[in-house]
Amino acid sequence: MTQSVKPEVPPRAGNEHPVEFSMIMASAVHDMKNSLGMLLHSLDELRRELPDQTAESRMNTLRYEAERVHGDLVQLLGLYRLDQDSLSARLEEHYLPDFIEAQMARHKPLLDGHCITPDIAVGPLSGYFDADLLAGVINDTVNNAIRYTRKRIRISAFQRENMLVIQVADDGAGYPDAMLDTTRQIPTSIDFQQGHTRLGLFFAREIARLHRNGDRYGYIQLSNGGPLGGGVFEILLP
Amino acid sequence: MVARSDSNTASVIDYSRLRVLVVDDFENFRLSMRQMLRSMGVGHIDACSDGPAAVQACTYEAFDVVLCDYNLGAGKNGQHVLEELRHRKLLRRTSLFIMVTAETSREMVMGAREYQPDGYLTKPINQAALNQRLGALLQQRAALKPINREIDLENYPKAISLCTRLLPEQPRYRTWILKTLSDLYYQVGDYSHARRIYEDVLQSRDIAWAQLGLGRILIAEQRYPEAIDTLQSLLEKQPDLIEAYDQLAQALKLGGKPGAAQKVLARAAELSPNAILRQKQLARLAAQNQDPENASSAWRRTVELGAHSIHDHPDHYLGLARSLSDLAEDDDSDSGRSHATEAIKTLKLITKRFPDAEDAQATGRWLEARVHWGQNRQAEADAIISEVVGTEVSGSVDCELELARTLFTLDRKQEAKTRLYALSRRYEGDAQVQAEIDALLDEPVSFRKRLKARRLTRQGIRAFESGQLRKAAEAFREALELVPDHIALNLNLIQVHLKAMDSTPDAARVTECRRCLERVADLPENHPQQRRFQALKSKVESLP
Repeated sequence: MTQSVKPEVPPRAGNEHPVEFSMIMASAVHDMKNSLGMLLHSLDELRRELPDQTAESRMNTLRYEAERVHGDLVQLLGLYRLDQDSLSARLEEHYLPDFIEAQMARHKPLLDGHCITPDIAVGPLSGYFDADLLAGVINDTVNNAIRYTRKRIRISAFQRENMLVIQVADDGAGYPDAMLDTTRQIPTSIDFQQGHTRLGLFFAREIARLHRNGDRYGYIQLSNGGPLGGGVFEILLP
Repeated sequence: MVARSDSNTASVIDYSRLRVLVVDDFENFRLSMRQMLRSMGVGHIDACSDGPAAVQACTYEAFDVVLCDYNLGAGKNGQHVLEELRHRKLLRRTSLFIMVTAETSREMVMGAREYQPDGYLTKPINQAALNQRLGALLQQRAALKPINREIDLENYPKAISLCTRLLPEQPRYRTWILKTLSDLYYQVGDYSHARRIYEDVLQSRDIAWAQLGLGRILIAEQRYPEAIDTLQSLLEKQPDLIEAYDQLAQALKLGGKPGAAQKVLARAAELSPNAILRQKQLARLAAQNQDPENASSAWRRTVELGAHSIHDHPDHYLGLARSLSDLAEDDDSDSGRSHATEAIKTLKLITKRFPDAEDAQATGRWLEARVHWGQNRQAEADAIISEVVGTEVSGSVDCELELARTLFTLDRKQEAKTRLYALSRRYEGDAQVQAEIDALLDEPVSFRKRLKARRLTRQGIRAFESGQLRKAAEAFREALELVPDHIALNLNLIQVHLKAMDSTPDAARVTECRRCLERVADLPENHPQQRRFQALKSKVESLP
């Protein structure tokens, strides 16, 4: 008679400590985001203390990349909260000149580094939106525009067909055709195969959709040409 | 960067006269903040590294702007500082408190309840961002200063008329003025004007603050079902709007649904676990709902959060000890023992943290005696209680009620009653105190017995209503074995017998009726059950 040995099944850790992986991810992202905040702060200080022009372009790269990662992390956290169903747009009336100015001030070091003076065309206009959520979208878009423009950026806000439009335009090469196409489709997934996951666009679309007035929803639009001949990003809010 | 077209609101800020306090635990952040403020031309800049120092600084000097980091390391955080400054009125409304944070503002706001900062600054902060944000906030403050000055002076009617005047002149601050105006109307009790603002806003848009305000007005007008509807529909749209849970819980509680109210508050406390006042509210509600498990955990959290808060109070420690004592009573299992140990440890903290709170310390001692008794340590309990035997009624109402509760538990019923009667005489005109005394006299027993008696009472009432008189009498009788002096219960049993004897008198029933009447014979004149007692008494006396 052979003695059979019953294979021992290792206990599954997940069952004993039901800590959701996504929550661990979210905490880690949160932590990284705060660290990057410190890093950006130090970078700005360093730039102020070292007026030496020789490092300017490398400083710009550092600033841009750090800001990009920071923005991604902020949006990742946003997506997590969307997924947890705990994110809802808190609409309030905001005065657009103040709002846009606050967003642009954040990019001043990088704009200066690239010798870009942004063209801001915002009338004394108020709009209804969630300032925290929209700030994330605008930050990401502006950071992107600074990276891809030649020398000009124009940010404007206006009313068009009963929608509030916030537009960011540049004089760069514009969006590749593939990107213009995908935005026409309803976003379903993020393509991780490509170098650019377009997390930012996906998030922008979701944020726009959270803005609702009656049966009208917000949306985003990408196009080329526009006032400066480059890429044009528009978020339209009802 | 922007050419302002509404230049009538843009006044020039004189930075050289500005007094600014920077609070941050990182030295290099304080330094760079100082540098940035100085390059803006700010005349007076102070800095400190922790919460107590910030409060201290504001005690001696009136700052125009406090730039306070949220995360200040161990100890008080930025929210604690803000609460303490506002609570102690060390910060005028005409000043600015700006919370500096690495988080998004949403997460910060979740913690706050009564006290919200005037603005947020998100790290990383650069010179341009500081210029822009501080400039915009100072400009707003300047434009609204007349209103805030009157609010500081608590001159609300004047503030209201200023709001209505500035509203058309300041389209840029429309939302701020509307919120403030509706809040002022609420404060002075003019609900119809407040309501009109909310309804106007809601007409054009689904705006959360207006719907929340409407809910609050409906509560003030005691229209609870409508308030509940309004707030529930708001929460369906905005499940992260903590203030709406608070208001909904309030509406449910006042609308006679304390159980549902507790659930709603528990959800809010789960979403935002750091607001001490909400935890306290939850703890109280759970205690009222005879739910010592949840009461003790909410009180425990309240005590923890009190460590750095201006809202720390001996009542929290007493509340925790009381619910633990309920849990531990007559429970000699491990969990019963550990509840008792925690209760006594909690009570010891009162003496340590509130050395001057004599009344709370005394209350704590009576509670301690009860905990000992519940763990079969009669000698310890008697030793504590012996010091009070034969003394005059001298403590606060809460202290005396606690003592009476303990005396009942320790089987010293007569002493308990004597003290309660004395207390009742001392607070003759105070309906609230009388009600508390009556409630204690009705049910001077342990938590578990009280719960059982209440369950039996409900069963009895249901049986009575469906005409099952024998079942009703049994339930009331059984409940009376637990709480023999319960006024309403005795009267209930009499009522059952009277109904059963509609056609045929029954000697045994009459005897029991008389026994019930005897038990409640010394009912005070002003007791709420007095009229019912008199009516039933004359009916029983007229029986053959």
